[in-house]
Amino acid sequence: MTDALAALLRHPRLWRGGGLTQGLATVPTGFRRLDERLPGGGWPLAALTELLVPTAGIGEIRLLLPALCALAADRPEAPRWIAWLAPPHLPYAPALTAAGLDSSRMLVVRPQAGLDVLWAMEQALGSGACAAVLGWVEAADGTALRRLTLAAEEGGSPGFLFRPPRHRDEASPAALRLLLTAHADGLDVEILKCRGGMPARVDRLPVH
Amino acid sequence: MLVPRRAASAAGARELWLAAHFPRLPLEALLPAAASTRAAVAIEAGDPRRTIACCNERAARQGILPGMSLAGALALVPGLRAEERQPAAEAALLDRLARWALQFTPVVSLEPPAAVLAEVRGSLDLFGGAMSLCRRALAGLSGSGLGASLAIAPTPRAALWLARAGLGMTVTRSDALPGLAARLPLACLQWPPEAVATLSALGIRSVADVLRLPRAEFAARFGPALLDELDAGLGRRREPHRRHVIPERFDERLPLPCEATAAAGLVPAFERLLANLEAFLRARACGVPGMRLDLLHRARAPTRLRLGLARPSSDAVELRRLLRERLARCPLPAPVTALRLRTGMLLPQAPRDAALLERGRSADPEATARLLDRLRARLGRQAVFGVCPVPEHRPERAWQVAEPGGKAPLSASWPAAAAARPLWMLAEPQPFDDWAGVQVSGPERIESGWWDGHDVRRDYYVAWTRAGVRLWIFRERPPGGGWFLHGVFG
Repeated sequence: MTDALAALLRHPRLWRGGGLTQGLATVPTGFRRLDERLPGGGWPLAALTELLVPTAGIGEIRLLLPALCALAADRPEAPRWIAWLAPPHLPYAPALTAAGLDSSRMLVVRPQAGLDVLWAMEQALGSGACAAVLGWVEAADGTALRRLTLAAEEGGSPGFLFRPPRHRDEASPAALRLLLTAHADGLDVEILKCRGGMPARVDRLPVH
Repeated sequence: MLVPRRAASAAGARELWLAAHFPRLPLEALLPAAASTRAAVAIEAGDPRRTIACCNERAARQGILPGMSLAGALALVPGLRAEERQPAAEAALLDRLARWALQFTPVVSLEPPAAVLAEVRGSLDLFGGAMSLCRRALAGLSGSGLGASLAIAPTPRAALWLARAGLGMTVTRSDALPGLAARLPLACLQWPPEAVATLSALGIRSVADVLRLPRAEFAARFGPALLDELDAGLGRRREPHRRHVIPERFDERLPLPCEATAAAGLVPAFERLLANLEAFLRARACGVPGMRLDLLHRARAPTRLRLGLARPSSDAVELRRLLRERLARCPLPAPVTALRLRTGMLLPQAPRDAALLERGRSADPEATARLLDRLRARLGRQAVFGVCPVPEHRPERAWQVAEPGGKAPLSASWPAAAAARPLWMLAEPQPFDDWAGVQVSGPERIESGWWDGHDVRRDYYVAWTRAGVRLWIFRERPPGGGWFLHGVFG
C-alpha cells in the first residue's frame, strides 16, 4: 500500500505544493519563531521578498540584520556587496560595524529618478555580485516586480523590497510577502504570501 | 689570469652596443635644463647625512664632489640649490630616454639607474658609421640639456664600462677589449661598495688589475656574479638584456557611412570599434582601466565621453554595455560624422579560462567591480558610494562616504560606542517636537570637538514613538536648547 502510494506520488504528472520547499535555498532569519513559519526555514535565496512597512524605522533592518551578517560572511574568498538602493536615510557605518557587518562591503545607491531604482535593483540582483539587495521602491507595477523576481533567480541573490502597506492587496510575484507592525515590545510579522507554505502570523518578535 | 685563454672572436663583432650613461640623471630628472645656471646638487633621499649624489657642472667647478655632505657643500657654495632625489622621476626620465634611443635601433634596453643600451650593429650603415651615429646622438641629447657620455663596444657590459668611465670610444673588435682594461677605473664597474673597498685595499685601481687576479680565488672571495660580469664584458659569456618595449595603446577612428543625429545611429559603428578593441586586447592578454570615446562633428569640437572602470577589463560585452549606458545619457549637440575610440595604457591581465560548462554567474570574482561600473555609468559617480566608520566621538563625523570596497581607516583599537547606535542616520539633525506618546530613556552625553570649531555638547536619548519607531534624539547642552532628531534605529 505504501509502495503504491509512493509510486503514485512519484508520477510525473502529479504536482504537490509541499514539494516546492524541498531544495529551496534559504538563510535562517535568526529568529526561531519566524524560521518555523517560513518554508525552508528562513529567507529565500535567489528570490524576491517583499516587506510592507508602514513607517521607515520600525525595526525592519534589525529583522534582517542576522541574515545579512550570515550572507555577508558566506563567501569570504570572494566578498560580495550588500546593496542599499534608495534607502530612506543613510546607513550608519559605526552601527553596521557594531552589528558585525563589514562596512567596506556596503554599496549605497541613491539615484535621482524613481525608475532608476528599479533598474539599479534589477542590475544588482542579476549581477550575482550582491550577497543581499535591499531596495526601497515607491511605485512598482506587476511587470517591474516580475523583472526583479527573474533577476533575483538569475543572479542567485536574495532581494528585499520595502514598500508601504497600501500595496497589500495588489498581486505580487514575490516569493515571500510580509506585513510588519511595530509594538513597544516587539515586531508583529504577518506572512501574507509564501511560496510553498501557508500564510501565518508571528507576534512580538524581539528585534529590539 | 682572468683573461680568457681562448682568443675572443676576431674582427667584425656580430653585435655592437651603444651605451649612453647619464652621470647627472638624478639632477636632470628634478630640474629643467635652464636651471643649470646656478650651482645645484641632488642629495640622496632619506639619508640623514644628506650625501650629495650628483652635482651640475657649475657646482663641480666650485669644488663640489659627489659623496660630500650637504653641510660641507654649503660651506663651499652658500647659494647652492639642493634637491632630494626622486627615484620615480629618474625612472620616468630613463624611460623617455629609452624611447628616444629607439630611433637608432629597435633593440634597446634600460640599464638602471642611469644608462641606456642600444644594439646598433645593423643601423651603422644607415647613420653613416659609428662616429656619425654617436655625434648625432650627442647632438640630440645636448639639445635637450642632458649630459651624456657615449661609447660603443662589442659587448653591452664593456660599452657600459667605457661610457661610465667617460671614455667616448668606439671599439669594434672584441680582442681590443683586454687592452683597454688598464684605462678603466674600478669605479666604472659599479660594484657593491664592500667589494670595491676590499679591492682598493689590495691596491687594485683599474679593471686591468682585476683581470690579473686568479680566477678561482676571485670567485671564492667576491662571488661568481662579479666574475660573470667580467666575462660578459670581455665577450666570454653572453648576458641577457631585457628589451625595452613601448607600451601600446588602442586608437582607432571610424567614419560613419552617414551622419548620425541620434545615439541609436552610432551603435553599429561603435560595435565594430569594440570588436576591434576586444581582438586587440585579447591578442595581448591585456585589459584597459578605462577608455575614451570621441564623437566627431563636422564643424565643432568633438564630444568626449570618458569611461573609467573599477578594474581593468577586456570583456567586450561588458564594455559595450557600459558604453551604451553612457551614450544613452549623452545628448548629441550636432550630427556625428565619425567615432574615435582610444584607450589608456594596457594592463596585463591573466586570461580567464572559458568554462567548459556554464558556471554559476555568482562565481565570477569580477562581478562586483562590473556591477559598480554599470551602476555608475548610468546613475553617475556620486550616486553610488560606500560608507566607512571614522574614529570620532561626534556621531555625524563617525562615518564618511567612501569608495565602495575600500578598506576602512578605522583602527581596530578604536572602541565601539558604549551605547547603541542607530542603523539610520539623518543627513542633518532635524528639529523634533512630536512628543505624543513618546517614551524616552537616556541620556548618553557626548561632548567633543571644541578644538576644531565644530563643538558638540549634547545629551542623546532613545525615544519610542507610538508608531513603534525607535528614534535617536538629542538636546543641546546647556538645557534649554531645542530637541533634535538625529537617527532612526531602523
